[in-house]
Amino acid sequence: MNFTKRTTLSMMAGLVLASTGLMTASAVSAKEVTVWAWDPNFNIAIMKEAGARYTAKHPDVTFKIVDMAKADVEQKLQTQLASGATKSLPDIVLVEDYNAPKYLRSFPGAFEPLSGKIDHGGFAKYKVDLMTVDGKVYGLPFDSGVTGMFYRKDLIEKAGFTEKDMQNITWDRYIEIGKKVEAATGKKMLALDPSDGGMVRVMMQSGGRWYFDKDGKLDVKGNAALKGALEAQAKLFKSGIVKQTSGWVEWVAALNKGDVASITSGVWITGSVKAEKSQSGLWRVAPTPSLGTPGSVNASNLGGSSWYVLAGGKEKAAAIDFLNEVWAKDVDFYQNILDGRGAVGTLTASRGGKAYSAADPFFGGDKVWQSFSDWMAKVPSVNYGMFTGEADAAMASQLPALMQGTPTDKILENIHNQLATQIK
Amino acid sequence: MTTVARTGSRRYRELNGWFFVGPSIALIGVFMAYPIVKSLWLSLHSGQGSVMKFVGAGNVERLFSDPIFLIALTNTFIFLIVQVPIMIVLALIMASCLNMPNLRFRGILRTAVFLPCVTSLVAYSVLFKSMFSYDGLVNSILLKLGLISEAIPWLSDPFWAKVVVITAITWRWTGYNMIFYLAAMQNIDKSIYEAARIDGISATRRFLSITVPMLKPVILFTTVTSTIGTLQLFDEPMNITNGLISDVTLTLSLYIYKLSFRYVPNFGYAATVSYVIVVLVAILAFVQFYAARERD
Amino acid sequence: MKNLPETIRMACTYVFLVLMAFLSLFPFVWMMIGATNTNTDVTKGKISFGSAFFDNFAKLSELFDVGQIFLNSAKIAIVGSFFTLLISSMAGYGFEIFRSALRERVYQALLLSMMVPFAALMIPLFTLLATADVLDTHMAVILPAVASAYIIFYFRQSTKAFPSELRDAARVDGLKEWQIFLFVYVPVMRSTYAAAFIIVFMTAWNNFLWPLIVLQSNELKTITLAISSLGSSYSPDFGVIMVATVLATLPTLLVFFAMQRQFVQGMLGSVK
Repeated sequence: MNFTKRTTLSMMAGLVLASTGLMTASAVSAKEVTVWAWDPNFNIAIMKEAGARYTAKHPDVTFKIVDMAKADVEQKLQTQLASGATKSLPDIVLVEDYNAPKYLRSFPGAFEPLSGKIDHGGFAKYKVDLMTVDGKVYGLPFDSGVTGMFYRKDLIEKAGFTEKDMQNITWDRYIEIGKKVEAATGKKMLALDPSDGGMVRVMMQSGGRWYFDKDGKLDVKGNAALKGALEAQAKLFKSGIVKQTSGWVEWVAALNKGDVASITSGVWITGSVKAEKSQSGLWRVAPTPSLGTPGSVNASNLGGSSWYVLAGGKEKAAAIDFLNEVWAKDVDFYQNILDGRGAVGTLTASRGGKAYSAADPFFGGDKVWQSFSDWMAKVPSVNYGMFTGEADAAMASQLPALMQGTPTDKILENIHNQLATQIK
Repeated sequence: MTTVARTGSRRYRELNGWFFVGPSIALIGVFMAYPIVKSLWLSLHSGQGSVMKFVGAGNVERLFSDPIFLIALTNTFIFLIVQVPIMIVLALIMASCLNMPNLRFRGILRTAVFLPCVTSLVAYSVLFKSMFSYDGLVNSILLKLGLISEAIPWLSDPFWAKVVVITAITWRWTGYNMIFYLAAMQNIDKSIYEAARIDGISATRRFLSITVPMLKPVILFTTVTSTIGTLQLFDEPMNITNGLISDVTLTLSLYIYKLSFRYVPNFGYAATVSYVIVVLVAILAFVQFYAARERD
Repeated sequence: MKNLPETIRMACTYVFLVLMAFLSLFPFVWMMIGATNTNTDVTKGKISFGSAFFDNFAKLSELFDVGQIFLNSAKIAIVGSFFTLLISSMAGYGFEIFRSALRERVYQALLLSMMVPFAALMIPLFTLLATADVLDTHMAVILPAVASAYIIFYFRQSTKAFPSELRDAARVDGLKEWQIFLFVYVPVMRSTYAAAFIIVFMTAWNNFLWPLIVLQSNELKTITLAISSLGSSYSPDFGVIMVATVLATLPTLLVFFAMQRQFVQGMLGSVK
């Protein structure tokens, strides 16, 4: 569809608009790189820091960093790409990793391939894999969603466990520990939103599989990792060690209020855990529990995002140079954002830096960033494919049935059937 | 009705008529009619994002074999059938209470019940979400009163999540509809009520056989606008009950949103679903007008 | 309730109304309490006033230029309301006073257009404004809402109550039609305008989806957009969010209280 043709209607709109004389013209300087991102305390602040570093060396390039809600970024991006009116798109946009394949394939030509312009060899492989389409690498890997198990040392000790008991365990063992912790302390082992499938995804990826196989074909029936994950989720709830929560805020509050003894989530949750200063020294971090099935590991991923350059951006060249100079090379920058914002980047070279080996008193002096960084290298690489949004919805819609004891094979079949009609 | 028969020649009326309605028609033509025609054209296409192809009636066929569409349709009808009558009846009762002669504090009470509709959507969804959370205010009050023995997962349970959405819309819009009834009631001649009272007709009967029939045009108006609003229900399930993640409060409008922005974007199919809403609204509005006319 | 003694009936009425008033007002109280508490206190469900209001406000000002987003919302709501009232009331008046078969058809089509969900129109509308090159301006937010089928409908209904004698008298005095509208109709119908203003102002002030899509620059953002982005942060601060919601709600409350009397009268006219 060609939307660029000026129709009489739009000329009418232009006339009406011009005659009202209320248009506010936005002044655009010679080289202003526009960026869209969504968290003022996290990726917005980090991008501002990166921009400041670049401007210090290249005074002719400034940055306009626009802050929106995450869903809002996605919605605006899709509206504009779909309408073909890409003039007001930014030069750089932050995209959640799960959505990347969908955008890259639904809007061919909208994003600029960066292979050859930026050396992707320095980044964690699983991040690079998910931004590769037909051999071309799009985007620049930003934060990692590598998962870990945060737990309260004081509470598990009351139940007779040590830090050693928490290393590289399976979910079955985790449930055993949880039952004893509840008996000894009266606290639930973890908080979980029964309508959120995030945990199932974490467990599935730790088993090295996804809803889709390497070729992007639906892989639900006979997916041992997904089956194991659903079974583990059901067992967690049945065992009674879960404190139910609804929504993100309540889930975080359960940690901060000291209602639960542990939580398994992406490394980005660290900031929220540390927000409750009174619990300093009580928390520790251990590897993600595994499914215990062949091929499953004690590492997984939840969330994470990357920067993409729009092909139609006005300052495309400056944007790419900026990403290359700061984001792909500046190790000191990565130390800074880890130190200041708790952002674990995915540039492997940055792991050697000071901030990564710093001891954190909140975690009893453990070098938690080092640990996360080590686990990041073990995260199984999976193909999210285009339809992760659909697959998640299909899985989440089966969770109530799962809780009521429907056999997992039946659940898998339901998910498969729903997806099969959707992804034609 | 205004008598305008003697207002000059035909030409004069035509010129003035178009002068007054012209600007609106031009604007609506550009900002409504054109997008409507365009989206009708879109609804004949299907694909992924900007990769679209012409499918004709293909999208309509797809509707019938789409399980999620059926869920959304069912949920929307549940909201419609339960929420609109509750709200209309509640608003009518409130209005007739507020219309009682020698009621004191009328102004304060009226303002209080009207206020919810001035809150912004973003603000009120934050409030409802926090009140109905698992450890939230509503659960803790119900637990303290001993009305429930364990906390209810209001926002995620397939049944209770719908209750929360219905409660939220009812909270926000009942006072708004009530104002229409109250205004209409003040137009009813007080002597009719007096006569009925002297004849010994009970308050309930007076309400049912005088107030309700006299208010029929207003009730029709609010029912039609509420029906349109509920069929397009989007904000509350989106922001309060996490309609994006789970299906339990998925509505047609939310499904359109998901098809456009959450899933692999298929704007053609999304447009088709939105015309399902248009058809439903048109049918229901027709039925309601027809039902109201018949009893005249 | 058949023939209950008057006093009991009155008591029931009061209990019912007070309960409804309480349920209606409680979330507002909860919001104000929240604005004075820290994030953790809000999530723990504390129901008493705290002392964190100024901290919360300071944090909000750190993240957003509060004055600017407030001004933006006000500009969109006030300018938008002015044009909506003018253009849409003209149409409502015109449809009722100057009837013709063709215009009745147009009017019916107009009412039908209310039924199309906005989600379906968003993308074509966006393309249109992009072609006219007005994205990222407040005008792009205001203009599509100026001719509102709902407000036209409301004014047409109200015009039925406009006394035709006034029009006849004005015509005898030699006033032109636009003069009759401006100098006779508008002053006589001021409570209708007040009621419509409240509705239009609230809708414009609270509008979210469309400003979200057309506004790009931080300097142009409205307060509802700011709340939305606060709420979706990785670590949302509910004290700060509550302060923002209080700020977002105050203007609509003020407008309503200032024009309450006219509002009720205006509603009265519309349903005659």
